[in-house]
Amino acid sequence: MLSPVNVSIESLNLMTLVPMLIPIVGALLIIVIDLFKSDQHKSLYVMLSLLVLGVDFVALLDSAGIFEKNGTVMGLFDVMLIDGLAILSQFIIVGASMLFIPLALTHKRFHEFSYPEFFALFLFMIAGFQFMVATDNLILIFVGLETASLALYTLIAMHNRDKSFEAAVKYFTMGALAAGFFSFGSMIFYALTGSVEINQIAAVLNANNYEDIGFVLVGVVFMLASFGFKLSMVPFHTWTPDVYEGSSAALAGYMSIVPKIAAFVVAMRLFEFLIHSGVVWLEVILYMGVVLTMTMANVWALVQTDVKRMLAYSSISHAGFVMAAILIGTTQSNSALFLYWILFSFTNLGSFSMLWISRQKNLPAHQQSDHSYNKFAGMIKTAPVAATIMALFMLSLAGLPPFALFWGKMYLISSAVTGGYTVLALIMALNSAIAGYYYLKLIVYMFMKDPIVEDGGHVYSANATLPLKTIIGFAAIGTIFAFLAVNWLLDFITVFVYNSGY
Amino acid sequence: MLDHILSILIFFPALAAMLGFVVNRESMRSYGIAVAAIEFFLALWLWFAFDSNASGMQFMETIALVPTFGINYIVGVDGISLFIVILAAFFTLIGIASLGETKDIKNMIITLLFLQMTMVGVFVALDAIVFYVFWELSLVPMLYIIGAWGGPLRIYASVKFFLYTFAGSLVMLVGMLFMAYFYYQATGQWSFSILEWYRLILPESFQIWLFVAFFIGFAIKVPMFPFHTWLPYAHGQAPTIGSVILAAILLKMGTYAFIRFSLPLFPDASVYFMYPIAILAIIMIIYTAMVAYAQKDIKQVVAYSSVSHMGVIILGTFALNVEGISGSIFLMIAHGVVSGALFFLVGVIYDRRHTKLMSEFGGLASVMPRYATIFGIMLMASVGLPLTINFVGEFLSLLGFYKQSHILTLLAGTAIIVGAIYMLAAYKKMFFGEVTKEENRNLPDVNKRELVALVPLVIITIWLGIYPKPVLGTINTSVEGVVQLMHEKAISDEAKERIPNLDLIIKRTSAKEAH
Repeated sequence: MLSPVNVSIESLNLMTLVPMLIPIVGALLIIVIDLFKSDQHKSLYVMLSLLVLGVDFVALLDSAGIFEKNGTVMGLFDVMLIDGLAILSQFIIVGASMLFIPLALTHKRFHEFSYPEFFALFLFMIAGFQFMVATDNLILIFVGLETASLALYTLIAMHNRDKSFEAAVKYFTMGALAAGFFSFGSMIFYALTGSVEINQIAAVLNANNYEDIGFVLVGVVFMLASFGFKLSMVPFHTWTPDVYEGSSAALAGYMSIVPKIAAFVVAMRLFEFLIHSGVVWLEVILYMGVVLTMTMANVWALVQTDVKRMLAYSSISHAGFVMAAILIGTTQSNSALFLYWILFSFTNLGSFSMLWISRQKNLPAHQQSDHSYNKFAGMIKTAPVAATIMALFMLSLAGLPPFALFWGKMYLISSAVTGGYTVLALIMALNSAIAGYYYLKLIVYMFMKDPIVEDGGHVYSANATLPLKTIIGFAAIGTIFAFLAVNWLLDFITVFVYNSGY
Repeated sequence: MLDHILSILIFFPALAAMLGFVVNRESMRSYGIAVAAIEFFLALWLWFAFDSNASGMQFMETIALVPTFGINYIVGVDGISLFIVILAAFFTLIGIASLGETKDIKNMIITLLFLQMTMVGVFVALDAIVFYVFWELSLVPMLYIIGAWGGPLRIYASVKFFLYTFAGSLVMLVGMLFMAYFYYQATGQWSFSILEWYRLILPESFQIWLFVAFFIGFAIKVPMFPFHTWLPYAHGQAPTIGSVILAAILLKMGTYAFIRFSLPLFPDASVYFMYPIAILAIIMIIYTAMVAYAQKDIKQVVAYSSVSHMGVIILGTFALNVEGISGSIFLMIAHGVVSGALFFLVGVIYDRRHTKLMSEFGGLASVMPRYATIFGIMLMASVGLPLTINFVGEFLSLLGFYKQSHILTLLAGTAIIVGAIYMLAAYKKMFFGEVTKEENRNLPDVNKRELVALVPLVIITIWLGIYPKPVLGTINTSVEGVVQLMHEKAISDEAKERIPNLDLIIKRTSAKEAH
């Protein structure tokens, strides 16, 4: 006779769900509005989404306060796990989303933004990512991942160009494969340990001293492949440039930040204990993956003729660079990951937004693609302010001090030095030097060539509106004055990472 | 105001550059001259207020930047950096004052003012990261100057310049992070302060690796053989003002950094690498002198001769004694003045004829007597004739190294003869004989605007050649401090022996004690 299950509401700790529920409620609200009164202007939905995200942000601040006081909180049958990593990554997810959503207020009409579904899906996606990072239960991670990914595929496809459909289908197919790998990997870990919670898995594996090492490795391989797709690590990166090219520039910028931080957090939770287990093989594979990802992506970026594809490869390279933090696996490196990603999100979203405001509806004859290097030739003469801002983002991406990304880069390389990875530190430094070339190439086009476009620079702000310019100004200020915030960020991040046991 | 004079010196030009965007195009040159003049007088004031009997840092300022990670904004000046700062201010001033009819003069002046910020920043930064920030940031305006105003190959040249130095300095950054880590291990505190690093005594094996990491960054900047290949392109393609600033100030960043970082941080490694570096320096001196002789383009002659003289500076630095190091610092200033002037002079002729090929000229002495005279004086200085500024520096550098090795010094000395040969040959080709080309017959002599730049340089060349004491004395005091510190820190017996013990009671004055 089974005893009745007794669950008190308090023990469920439903507060842990609040940050995820806010965007879901917001999404439902948008759908309901559309149900009763369709044909609303997109600005309504943009502002509603922004408000919802703002409330979400405040809720996160609340949980951060609770975390600082009480430490890690579990909830909902111990499925939810609100620790420092969860809070930090949610800050990045929600913050970057808040920067992204006003980009829908373009000058040109892009029809995806006229659908309220776009905004509803967007909010669902955010909830999905939030679930993904706020748990160490492989099933909930999977649910979050798929919620977010399916919404994202649709967002790409809504862009309604041939390339977008191709991109969405490509991303979907690859994503489905990755999901398959993920579930297979989880299955193996479950079979080995009888649990789907990462800390349980770690505990059991440690307790029996990794005796089924063969199976562990198979599980790890599947997990690596799955995260390889999500983080676009070489050799699982092939979808990235095409998908970025197919999606709108703004969404591409978003995709280079938010899905990745979610995947990084899960990878950190999963691989941290595996790396510290002393399994040399795993470390070697991860080391190779990191080095290959940053180097190969850099080399490919060198030969691109389209700025957007170049930025796509560059963001692969950045992801590889940051993946090194997980390989190093110290508190400093894990903090460096968050610092880097926060600074990166400003800069990268800024540079993709610059592409976004220069988006034309139709391509002129001399341009092979939307954002070919040629288009930016001589920009300093026709649109000096825009050119300077773009150059600023490029210099920051290249890691030139004192701009934002330099501080992330420095702290990350420093964590490699302190972690005993001297060679890796040198490889990282040299890769930054290679990367300098392709960022410089755009600067050379903008500042040193003669203009091809003869329309007084209008082309560079074809799509600009006040909200877009505001976002770019915000990103530019963040990029320049990052050094004022680094100390505060570092203190904040380190406390959160350290108190979560990473 | 003196408490913040260094910060003012750094950020005043930058602020002025920002405001410069608003200034009217026609008034821009006057604006630029005014700003640079104020900056120059501030620099002179710094010299005036400077206590030349103290060997330590003066006018120090500290502001916390990322204290958790040991990064602070620390600036200060000593006898080693003082004159280079003044030189930077001086060259920016005469550079802007002598700017001819350049396209986009507004952008040019704004860029120069930004460049000035980074130059002053590099020489007064006492925190490795702040140093690194200015060091890297200086690449951007220079990239723009070469890339936007340069010759036909300007893009190639500017990108090559940027990437070479960028790659080198990233390796240096790894070295800096290691230093900070060692400091952390020793004290439990992160710190990037150079002065605090000085207190750290590292095992020799660590020193050697760190020395190499820093060396790569510095050597590319100097540029030392075999890392010098970017320089002829950069000089060849840069506009006159770019070459002047590059030769006069930017190259000094590398040699200055050797004295600021490599020597006092790694005394044993400095001794360990003394001979290899000296040999590289001598190759640099002789090889580039020979290459200079083979050039057809007068600007390339000056460019290679400039590299050749940088070799003497390196040699003096790695003499590791007071004569050598003081001499090399003095030679940095001398080289700045003289090669800066030579690049100006090449610019003068290029403005008139739009060619730099020596074969296009001949007999200029009769057409442009004033020009020929100034060129002659500067050329003599460049060759190292006594009573000119270069002689003092070269003599001391070689004297310093003579104490370490007679033969190598002798070899380096021969190069000065080669230097005389190519310089005089070039002078002969351009100035003596009949006027061979019709176009040259009516070339106007140097005008007022050009004299504004050239006459002060001639005066400095001769004045400091005859009476170097006001500058040399101040340099000496600080260098004594550095050498003493190196001796105290040296671990190995060889290093103790090579680096003289001065038995000084060092007055390590800080800003607070000075006031």
